[in-house]
Amino acid sequence: MKLRFLIRLGARIGIALGFLAAVIWLAFIPSPKEPPYTFVGAWGGKGHAPGQFDDPTGIAVAGEEVFVADSRNDRIQVFDLQGRFKRQFGSAGAAPGQLGRPMNLAVRDGRLYVAEYVNDRIQVFGLDGTPRAIIGGPGSGPGQFNAPGGVALAANGDLIVADFYNQRVQQLKADGSFVRQWGRTGVIGIGAGQFNYPTDVAVGTDGTVFVADGYNDRIQAFAADGAFSHKWGGPLAMNVFGPFPGWFATVTSLAVDGRGQLFAADFYNHRVQKFSADGTFLTQFGSRGEGRGRFEYVIAVAVAADESVFAVDFGNQRVTRWRPQADSVRDPRP
Amino acid sequence: MLNGKLIGRRIAVTLGLALFASNALAQTAYRIQVDGLACPFCAYGIEKKLGAIAGVARVETDIAAGTVTATMADGATMDEASATRAVQEAGFSLRGFEALGQAAANGAGAGAK
Repeated sequence: MKLRFLIRLGARIGIALGFLAAVIWLAFIPSPKEPPYTFVGAWGGKGHAPGQFDDPTGIAVAGEEVFVADSRNDRIQVFDLQGRFKRQFGSAGAAPGQLGRPMNLAVRDGRLYVAEYVNDRIQVFGLDGTPRAIIGGPGSGPGQFNAPGGVALAANGDLIVADFYNQRVQQLKADGSFVRQWGRTGVIGIGAGQFNYPTDVAVGTDGTVFVADGYNDRIQAFAADGAFSHKWGGPLAMNVFGPFPGWFATVTSLAVDGRGQLFAADFYNHRVQKFSADGTFLTQFGSRGEGRGRFEYVIAVAVAADESVFAVDFGNQRVTRWRPQADSVRDPRP
Repeated sequence: MLNGKLIGRRIAVTLGLALFASNALAQTAYRIQVDGLACPFCAYGIEKKLGAIAGVARVETDIAAGTVTATMADGATMDEASATRAVQEAGFSLRGFEALGQAAANGAGAGAK
């Protein structure tokens, strides 16, 4: 009698757990709405020669050129869209034109913006490598940085900077004067508008500011007026990491394409994820490894006007190029 | 005979002083073990914080091994409390702190990433 009761109880618990798992799956694990991207090619390899990298950490595309932050070589390398080396600039140091661990990059109106992690500044270059301006310096005050990880440009030319160790995102005028910040300086948090080591930023086609909230394993979005808009990444986007679609294991880079869709480098998951601006999961590509279409920690992502996606494969010391499958290119989705 | 003893003693004293000086001025290095050291944001952060400690000449990270090697300027040393503080400021916990011998210190740079 007692055994039958226990068996029935066990069965009911099993059914309840299965139901719960199904609910969680449906609620928190979205299905792809596009096919994955196709691997086209890769270039690089570890070293110091032109075309080789020692910790590539950032990438940006300007027209027909790809700019790569070659961090331990303290230089920027420039390639054509097929990966042929064109030129390089920068060397180790803190003087104008020199670099201290360049990280995520941004390009706008013929200028390259470089987040310098060790020099605690944003350096602006002409696309030919001519140093144009230095913005910010070390510290935690307004307009100062403690290891900036990434930079983006608003439509009015303001800089948006992921201020990694200050646990905040700053908006500055082009001359470096302070406009506003998101997050409390030096304070880690998991609530809306709080950060846990922000690594990069991107600006949407409507002015939305997207923040790669690195170790909160999520993306946060703020309207152009600065108000918190939405967030996503794992259950309730509250610092839950995982390998499922739409989840993250440390977001390290963001890029927005011409249609306002967002690409995220999902570092420890060895993949790039693509979302619509409202955070809807669209597709993902890449998996761990050394071969074609594989990543050993993907750290940065950029998208070209022709919809090619360039992803930096940190551990394999290379840049990879991807293309959307033909049907997804012809099928503009919201 | 007396002169020979004196010369021998002076040679011994000179050699001893030279040995002492070479040890005192040798570059000391420390191997610091840190958990979860896979991303460059973390590695560069630790390098930056350790590099800010007085006397540190060079910091090199081996991400795969999860170790950081800090090489000091001639005659400088680092205490574990300073290393612990720097690693914590970088967002990590220190798991090991080991002073390397001079030979190991000289070889550390070549082997490190």
